[in-house]
Amino acid sequence: MEFFKYISKRILQVIPLLIIVSLISFFIIRLSPVDPLAELRLNPSISKETLDKEIKRLNLDKPIYVQYFSWAKSFVKGDLGYTSAGEKVSTKLKERIPNTLLLTTIVIFMTWIVGLPLGVLAAVRKETALDRILTVVSSIGMAIPSFFFAILMLIFAVKTGWFPVGGLTSYNFNEMSFAGKFVDISKHLVLPVIVLFTISLSGLQRQMRANMLEVLDSDYVKFARAKGLSEGKVIFKHALRNAINPMITLLGFEFAGLLSGAALTEYVFQYPGLGRLILEAVMKSDINLVMASLMMGTIMLILGNLIADILLMITDPRLRGVKG
Amino acid sequence: MRADVPEKLPDKFVNQELKNIDYPDDEKNVTINGVDYLQSQAPVGKFGGELVISTIGEGPKTFNPCNTKDATSSSMAGLMYDGLLTTNPRSGKVVPLLAKSFEIDENDYTIHLRHGVKWSDGKPITADDVMYTFEEIVFKGFGNPSTMDAMMMDGKLPELVKIDDYTVKFTTPRPFAPFLRQLTYPIVPKHYFKPYSDKGESVFNAFLSPDTPPKTIVSNGAFRLKEYVAAQRVVFERNPNYYKINLKGEKLPYLNKLVYMIVGDTNNEILKFEAKEVDVLSLRGSNVARYKLKEPDSDYTIYNLGPDTGTLFLIINLNNRKDRNGKPYVNPTKHSWFANRDFRAAIDWALDRKNMVQNIASGVAEPLFTAESLNSIYLNNYIKGHPCDPNVSRESLTKAGFVNKDGILYDNDGNRVEFDLYTNAGNLEREALGVMIKQDLEDLGMKVNFKPVEFNSLVNKLTNTHDWDMAIMGLTGSPLEPHDGKNVWTSKGSLHLFNMRPSDYKVDDRLDWEKEIDDIFREGALKLSFEERKPLYDRYQTIIYNQKPIIYLYSPTRITAIRKKFKNIFPTPLSGLIYNLDEIYVE
Repeated sequence: MEFFKYISKRILQVIPLLIIVSLISFFIIRLSPVDPLAELRLNPSISKETLDKEIKRLNLDKPIYVQYFSWAKSFVKGDLGYTSAGEKVSTKLKERIPNTLLLTTIVIFMTWIVGLPLGVLAAVRKETALDRILTVVSSIGMAIPSFFFAILMLIFAVKTGWFPVGGLTSYNFNEMSFAGKFVDISKHLVLPVIVLFTISLSGLQRQMRANMLEVLDSDYVKFARAKGLSEGKVIFKHALRNAINPMITLLGFEFAGLLSGAALTEYVFQYPGLGRLILEAVMKSDINLVMASLMMGTIMLILGNLIADILLMITDPRLRGVKG
Repeated sequence: MRADVPEKLPDKFVNQELKNIDYPDDEKNVTINGVDYLQSQAPVGKFGGELVISTIGEGPKTFNPCNTKDATSSSMAGLMYDGLLTTNPRSGKVVPLLAKSFEIDENDYTIHLRHGVKWSDGKPITADDVMYTFEEIVFKGFGNPSTMDAMMMDGKLPELVKIDDYTVKFTTPRPFAPFLRQLTYPIVPKHYFKPYSDKGESVFNAFLSPDTPPKTIVSNGAFRLKEYVAAQRVVFERNPNYYKINLKGEKLPYLNKLVYMIVGDTNNEILKFEAKEVDVLSLRGSNVARYKLKEPDSDYTIYNLGPDTGTLFLIINLNNRKDRNGKPYVNPTKHSWFANRDFRAAIDWALDRKNMVQNIASGVAEPLFTAESLNSIYLNNYIKGHPCDPNVSRESLTKAGFVNKDGILYDNDGNRVEFDLYTNAGNLEREALGVMIKQDLEDLGMKVNFKPVEFNSLVNKLTNTHDWDMAIMGLTGSPLEPHDGKNVWTSKGSLHLFNMRPSDYKVDDRLDWEKEIDDIFREGALKLSFEERKPLYDRYQTIIYNQKPIIYLYSPTRITAIRKKFKNIFPTPLSGLIYNLDEIYVE
């Protein structure tokens, strides 16, 4: 019972947060000197009438607070409105979300599968050759900017011809067999996955190593060892379970990054995901699209934290009795 | 800087004309079994294959040809929908396309349609479709209303009558030269479009959005939509009902598929060309030299299509009006300089265009002195331009009462000559131009504050707040119809940037030469023949050249590479490289 009360309370807290986030972002976007019609204004063949029509259509002739309320009203009703080019925001997002999810879930899955064991290994074999090598590699991974690494990968693709230069599918994708389609998508995914994997792996591995080291240094591990438990039991039964707790919070943040975390890499690889769409939308001050993505990001972040909290309650008996 | 390529192109390449190309004759009408085909006179090619092109940006916003507002959407919708008339790619003349022929008698334009030609779903194309397109879409201002605006004469639209199933007649209220070219507007199928247009404009504008199932789309162009994948590509396939045939009587187009890759920026486009994922690449700046060097042992050919319609210029604010609070838009002291023709001439003569072309455009551009672009059929060939000569500038300044003391220029009231020069930040070409212009003008003793600002802020300054001194800008002209520039040149135009008047401005404070240009544009639209119109538009270019409210700098040259396996490539300065997609084939 306590548990459900806690969750519903957390969900109720979301509402004022969403309102504040939407207010701030709406006003910042609208008060910036970006004009979604700037390009049309400088087009000699566009008449004054057309411009006036566009201003009316985009509600630009109304005061900002009126624009905000009309946006908020339709948002509450579940209508995300239209982009400045007249396409449905919901359709645009639906086209892109699966692509981004495909990329980010693969990356997150791989990172965690590889990153956690590597972190544990590095901690257990602290200051051995293996740990030193992992330290160097992960330092490089953390230091290299993602866009630069992505460009290097693109050059690699052009020079060798082994991988396609960006995108997600080849132009004759629809004529391929199922296996052909699978291979085609995989080939397109290899390079962006390598980039994102390398970069997030490094962070995760270091984090896990640090957690593990801290736990290994604690009194209860010393006690377990003194008790004469085997090293395997000490590490897996006692140390790991305690070291994993902070990682769960991190997983919550990873969840929030599912939709937005890969934007830069997506842009360089011309990956048809949300990143490219939203970057363009921000540049053109396409308010409905930007607002929809910001709201989505906020909700994902809150949801991620909530999931992490719930997971923590399950794994950590100390938290179970605590009231929210 | 790369060292393995020449810094600048040999002049020979830049100026090379398309003189070795053996163009086919113009297309002819041929009637076979009662069907009026249009016959291509290009060499007979092979059917099959595909051409992959790239388009920069986020891809098409709509496939509704009546509602396109950006270049990508309109070129794609243009593939799918043909208009009654079209522009001859070589001569620029208006010639029949979907129409079989047309006659002009005073203000009457009679259009004869082809018998037996069909929409992609097999239904015949008749006068009803033409009537529908103009009466229920264009004249109502649905979608993009610019064609309606262009057809409007003194607030009146032309009349349209259906004579029989294959003949329609337009009557304009008075002679109006730009009218004929408006008939290149795409014709759409009444049976497919009407259910949507009947539901009002907002439904019509959302109609044929990119996610429309391709199979349901009814079109009449050479290609029909096969697939749209958001942010990746648009695939077209040949329309088997197309009415153009080759010399053997086989139905065109040759290509099975036409693929547009949607790429985010030019860098990605180049990578895709290098990786052989796209077949055509438009080259800019220093890339030209690199690709030209690799051309002999490559699988592509490079064509120089001559200067494009884009113009880069320095514009001077002549506005002497005041804003709502009574504050002048331009500081009155500065205005007194800008309003002085000798001051503007001094600036013009000080600018080293040759240097700009060589160092900023890597030689891939031509100096520009005229308001019409260099590939315009109305270009005033008597304006030869002038070299850069700071001595002429100094003479003009002295004549205008300016004094140079120790390298610093003062006006005759002792004010230091100092002004702001704007351009849009992020555009490397314009930023480099700004630096060079600043240098040239500071040699005359002026102080130039070069301020690149965000594009939207610049547009806002130019069109709305008017608080700027000079700016480096570019606009795209029309190579065929100078009247399209009326918004820029007529004194009440919405893009009359150098002397913007509010839309409700009543006072007639036009400068003498502004008056003359107004008259020219009014008269030029009334005259129908090229011979009558040419002297008028020559005159307006002379006025701009003499008065220099806008100082033109250069026009970029279009250089495009295409893989050698594509044949029937007949590039023209007017229409570019691959305008004849229905005739191009793969060897």
